[in-house]
Amino acid sequence: MSESNGGGVRYVYGVVRARRSSRLKQTGINGEPLKVVADGGLGALTSTVPEGFLEAGRDELLTHSAVLERALKKGTVLPMQFGVVMPDEAAVRRDLLKAHHRELETQLEEMDGKVEVNVKGIYSEPRILREALEEDGELRALRESIRDKPQDATYFERIRIGELIAECLGRKRAEDERRIVDRLLPHAVAVEVGEPVHERMALNASFLVEQRRQRDFDRALDEIAEGQSGRIQFKYTGPLPPHSFVELAMEAA
Amino acid sequence: MATAMQQRGSMQPYRGGSGYVARSSSSGLYDVLELILDKGLVIDVFVRVSLIGIEILTVDARIVIASVDTYLRFAEAVNRLDLMSTETQGLPEMMEGITEGGASNKTKGVLQGAKEALFGEEDEDSGDGERQGERRRSSSSTTRRRRKSGSSGSSGGGSSGSRSRSSSKS
Repeated sequence: MSESNGGGVRYVYGVVRARRSSRLKQTGINGEPLKVVADGGLGALTSTVPEGFLEAGRDELLTHSAVLERALKKGTVLPMQFGVVMPDEAAVRRDLLKAHHRELETQLEEMDGKVEVNVKGIYSEPRILREALEEDGELRALRESIRDKPQDATYFERIRIGELIAECLGRKRAEDERRIVDRLLPHAVAVEVGEPVHERMALNASFLVEQRRQRDFDRALDEIAEGQSGRIQFKYTGPLPPHSFVELAMEAA
Repeated sequence: MATAMQQRGSMQPYRGGSGYVARSSSSGLYDVLELILDKGLVIDVFVRVSLIGIEILTVDARIVIASVDTYLRFAEAVNRLDLMSTETQGLPEMMEGITEGGASNKTKGVLQGAKEALFGEEDEDSGDGERQGERRRSSSSTTRRRRKSGSSGSSGGGSSGSRSRSSSKS
């Protein structure tokens, strides 16, 4: 692994503001020191990785996260997605910092003083099933009709029951998602709403929140959570670097 | 930079609040890793490191949700439901359900499978100890909707300006 002239393959963690290149005491993957590669007021957070570095595991994920977490404490950081590796320091300067200078500058400004907060909501299954039964006559009737019958005699009814529940859940999810996002968005700058990752998910959204308004946001979420107590359990992750709110154009810009 | 900045929350207790919002260290960390794998800046041209130990492929999350297995499971759950009971599910049970993704461990969410592959037995939500043998495909970003605060109605996706999302998912 050649260290001279910035040789050596670089793993890239994120982009910050930097007036000059430097080597940090903090370490990254494999315990290699972090190196800030600076160009035009921008700095890429990098560390040297072995030549054939193509696979990674849990440790690398955790390290990537830790580096960004630390950077966020110090200032604005635009996170790279996990796993971006560039052939050498010159490539980092040329193909990342120079090629995308304007975009990166703009996004650093946009992200100043802001953090990402990820909010997930999970339905209580008994509660939501009860709601479905209360609201859907066909569902109630089907449920009654299969009571006390052997399972193999009721296959199609059970499929139909499941379908109705899934549809009902889909409707509720859409409505709850819309209502919750509408209540939180006034305290945020933007939201990225994701698709649910399993059938009991009520909400999966990342919010871009100004740090000075984070208390308001948290309080609004608290109120929502209290109101949904027993129905939706909320999970909050943050403050985070703005993973969901940064991107690079395909072409240099 | 504001001094009110706090450390990334997954390792800290939830700041203030009524206690209705859950924060637990390992699932919070998991959510961060989900973002790291799926979001952030990407430069297409360069080799992306692949994760060993789990498959990262895209799948339509809706396929996972709307399957026959899911329907049958719902039917079973609603059949078992005791309508006479007015008790709502207590917080401990709900906490268990948060990262499980389904009442039955048989149909865990796809990321749950990935999580186990990455973190193995250290998870807090080992639940009833059932392990998912097969590797699940993780759902990457399918359609994402973004809205800016102050805009009315829902967005059609896509951000303002000339930026387009680079889409290297290898």
